[in-house]
Amino acid sequence: MSTTAPAVTATDTIRSPLAEFWRKFLRRRSAVVAGLCLLLLALAAAAAPWIAPYDPAGFDYDRVLEGPSWAHWAGTDSYGRDIFSRILWGARISLSVGLLSVMLGGIVGIALGLVSGFRGGFIDSLIMRLCDVLLAFPGILLAIGIVAILGPGIENVIYAVAIFSIPVFARLVRGSTLSLKQAVYVDAARAIGVRDRMLMLRHILPGTLPSVIVYVSMRIGTSILTAASLSFIGLGAQPPSPEWGAMLADGRSYIGVASHVTFYPGLAIFITVLAFNLLGDGLRDALDPKLR
Amino acid sequence: MLKYLVGRIAGIIPVLLVISVFVFGFVHLLPGDPARLVAGSDASPSDIALVRQDLGLDQPLWVQYGRFLSNAVQGEFGRSMKTKRKVSEEIGSRFLPTLYLTGAAMAWATLAGLLIGVASATKRGRWPDHVGMFVAVSGIAFPSFWLGLLMIDLFSVQLRWLPTSGYGTWQHFVMPSLTLGLGVAAVMARFTRSAFIDIAREDYVRTARAKGVPSRLVVWKHTLRNAMIPIITMVGLQFGFLLGGSIVVETVFSWPGLGRLLVDSVSYRDYTVIQAEILLFSLEFILINLLVDVLYALANPEIRYS
Amino acid sequence: MTRFALPLVAGLLCCTALTNAAFAAKDLVVGVPDNLTTLDPADVNDTLSQSATRTMLQGLFAFDKEMKLIPQLAESFTVNDTATEYTYKLRKGVTFHDGTPFNAQAVKINFDRLSNPANKLKRQSLLAMLAETVVVDDTTITLKLAQPFGALNNNLAHPGAMIHSPKALETYGKEIGRHPVGTGPFKFVSWQADTMVATKNTNYWKPGLPKVDSVTFRSVPENGSRIAMLQTNEAQFVYPLPSEMVPMVEKNPALSIINAPSIIARYVAMNTMKKPFNDVRVRQALNYAIDKNAWTKIVYRGFAGPLPSPLPPKLGFHVPQAEQYTVDLAKAKALLAEAGYPNGFEAEMFGRNNTNFIRGMQFVQQQLSQIGVKITVTPLEAGVETARVWGVEKPEDATVQMQYGGWSASTGDADWGLRPLLWGKGFPPKFFNVAYYKNETVDAAIETGIATADTAKRAEAYRVAQEQIWKDAPWLFLGVENLLAAQVKNLTGLNQVADGGLQIEEADIQ
Repeated sequence: MSTTAPAVTATDTIRSPLAEFWRKFLRRRSAVVAGLCLLLLALAAAAAPWIAPYDPAGFDYDRVLEGPSWAHWAGTDSYGRDIFSRILWGARISLSVGLLSVMLGGIVGIALGLVSGFRGGFIDSLIMRLCDVLLAFPGILLAIGIVAILGPGIENVIYAVAIFSIPVFARLVRGSTLSLKQAVYVDAARAIGVRDRMLMLRHILPGTLPSVIVYVSMRIGTSILTAASLSFIGLGAQPPSPEWGAMLADGRSYIGVASHVTFYPGLAIFITVLAFNLLGDGLRDALDPKLR
Repeated sequence: MLKYLVGRIAGIIPVLLVISVFVFGFVHLLPGDPARLVAGSDASPSDIALVRQDLGLDQPLWVQYGRFLSNAVQGEFGRSMKTKRKVSEEIGSRFLPTLYLTGAAMAWATLAGLLIGVASATKRGRWPDHVGMFVAVSGIAFPSFWLGLLMIDLFSVQLRWLPTSGYGTWQHFVMPSLTLGLGVAAVMARFTRSAFIDIAREDYVRTARAKGVPSRLVVWKHTLRNAMIPIITMVGLQFGFLLGGSIVVETVFSWPGLGRLLVDSVSYRDYTVIQAEILLFSLEFILINLLVDVLYALANPEIRYS
Repeated sequence: MTRFALPLVAGLLCCTALTNAAFAAKDLVVGVPDNLTTLDPADVNDTLSQSATRTMLQGLFAFDKEMKLIPQLAESFTVNDTATEYTYKLRKGVTFHDGTPFNAQAVKINFDRLSNPANKLKRQSLLAMLAETVVVDDTTITLKLAQPFGALNNNLAHPGAMIHSPKALETYGKEIGRHPVGTGPFKFVSWQADTMVATKNTNYWKPGLPKVDSVTFRSVPENGSRIAMLQTNEAQFVYPLPSEMVPMVEKNPALSIINAPSIIARYVAMNTMKKPFNDVRVRQALNYAIDKNAWTKIVYRGFAGPLPSPLPPKLGFHVPQAEQYTVDLAKAKALLAEAGYPNGFEAEMFGRNNTNFIRGMQFVQQQLSQIGVKITVTPLEAGVETARVWGVEKPEDATVQMQYGGWSASTGDADWGLRPLLWGKGFPPKFFNVAYYKNETVDAAIETGIATADTAKRAEAYRVAQEQIWKDAPWLFLGVENLLAAQVKNLTGLNQVADGGLQIEEADIQ
């Protein structure tokens, strides 16, 4: 600490941005719990082949629709398959749908937003009008259309969900790009002759990331839910895939007869989506420079 | 203001044109032949040819598009391929149910969202904040068809409080609007909270506080008024999304709205109805955005449009 | 806010009025899965809309609940020896709901309308052979045919040939499908989006009928919601009842289940033009690998019967086959090895994307995995199916390897149970022979069967066809599902016929 600044006390050290982020993030206890939950889930998903007690596609016609027991922690479904094992395996699929679709939509959307905000003019209005069109198109309909055109299957569900994430990312990034473009350090970089592509990738992109990260974390939850809705209208994952939404949609006839068939996959979706959202809230608080 | 409005309205036209091309391409890209679907599962090839001719599907694509566009400009969309009823009647009869349901869902969700949001923001970091946000976020996390079916089982079958499904009385509104509004309430609560926190840091609010204005007055008069702008945007956006008719909620509660019509017409490849419906949704969405921008100007006179 | 608060209040008042009325009246609500398409039976091809129009409109003939032909608006008929001229005596003293008298002129207007191809009605084929209609007097009408046709009365019993009021046809023109006016037990009231209401016809010509004051068809697509309506007495009859919901209905003492055999055959067609299904041993092997009892138990929870021949037992000329494909994995593996696939193979199976199909496909997938055959299940949405399966122009272009399907022969006759599905000249897009099965013996037998009216000759032809098809095994023969519906116990007289149609005329609520 400098001797010329006696007002600064020893505890008021200047922290690195990362340390600052951690300090604030750890203060949001719900976000920390949510993050740990998701970490655990990811580990469980990764370890599913080793920790799942049964084969997720293993039929047992003598043990159909049994309630939870010591042998089957979450009971069995209408084919006698172990629901707990299916949820573990399904975590791989559902988490991948969430992550991949948002990443895919995010990358395209960020690229469009950067170019749009940075270049301005005709390109900007073109991209923004296209985003308007995409936004005005009802999201689930777009998904129905894409799945109908490409055929059902988990990959196409990912594309479908990705496409309607694009315009929101594009708008978000365009907004921050516009304000960052005026920033002093960008001006300085430009003055010393840094080329446009470099400017966008090295100087502006990192500045837009905080808001993007927050949005990503929330969007993942939405994507998992959208995949479930697609299963509900019969355009989701293919059987016998243990994707959570498909399990929930498939078991919905048993509400009132064997409610455990939908309860556990429903709970899995609920907890996961909740956790992603709480994590997002925590990240927002930690990343937003205005919140002290 | 007037000049701005005229400009904005003129700007809608190219967007709608692009959408019309989109929509037309979209329905024709869908695999499946409407003539075959309309003719029925045991129709002979000659029956199908007859239907195809009847529906004008034997014409070249650009002729079909031209007809669609010229009809659309006149506000006329021909007849439904499936029911042979006028598309305007088909959509007209389902528009109000969707509008009412959306209205009911938005009304309670906005109100609840605002209350939770304000409560959370004013008690930031304390337990009302945590509880409020947790409740709000839980609302987003339910797969809506599951929640809907669980509610039917509980409130209709077990407790006999509410009718299972359908449209008509206020009781019919309760479960669908609750299911539909839950996500909106969560978004609103969260959004209100952060808008509030942002504004509370603005200089004029601090000044007001420093001058000794009672804190309740600060909240309701200074902060809320200014937080209204982003909140209006959000309400508008959400309203636009919901007006598309929620396919899932309308299916679970057999609500005779636009969402179900859309699913039905997509599965029958009822081109005329799909096209008209999507154009309508897009127009609604664009108009709501416009309305939001105008409300902006009214809520905050400092915003000037050039 | 006030803008939509108003209708809410109005709706509330309306509701109070309705519930008050409901105490006095016997109102029957039928919960159905889909929306009605139109109420002009001449232009309808779905069973559901036909059931709805049957409450309001009637034809010269009808089917009773055993699907036997009975006269309705006709009293008697005569026919010439060559079956080219039919004369009908019509019932006297019948009036349409709008007061117009029912007479020979009304029949003529309707039949001329239906038979004229320029009207582009979907059921035109019912009267395509009609050359001329002659009004003899007010209650006598003669139909002259262009070629002999022995089964005209059957065609007239089809809902497509029911009689509209001529005045209504004139008034409403193209909109007749929204304004049906007939002679039936119920009068049309309204049809909004998903709800159709018809009220008691107090001047109905059958004394003492109908017994209920109104009938409402409500479309409720979600199975759970539909059954919930029954449990809360918002509906008194719902169909279909998914088999997995049977236990829930059984639990409720106020409800009962209608469980009757249908004519809906379930099978998996194998593309006999594609490897490996071009080898009959492979097709037989797959048949031996499937436990049909387990299929019944798993897919339909026991609410299905066997398919011991290509034709379901309820269809005419059905002959059960002597040697059944009872499950025998060793035999299946041996046959596969013999055909050159000792380790099995991989294949793709198409089918519709609804719950029952998906469940059935998963079952077949699991069963075949026991003999090393790996199946990829691809559920197809209806529109996609028409493009990928039914609309394919040339057999070589077909991508289908296996198709999980079902068929209900709507005429109740063997011809329509075989010709569209297994006739060598019926490949898509013409008919539905998605197995691309072609066998000269079978083709000859099917053609003999339509060419004659001699029952003995027909029986022999269809016996030969069934035997040959069974041996060639172009399908995995799975079973015949039951018709399942549920109703409140105090409802009587509502019949569901084997083709899935509903008869509501005699319904009563005790």
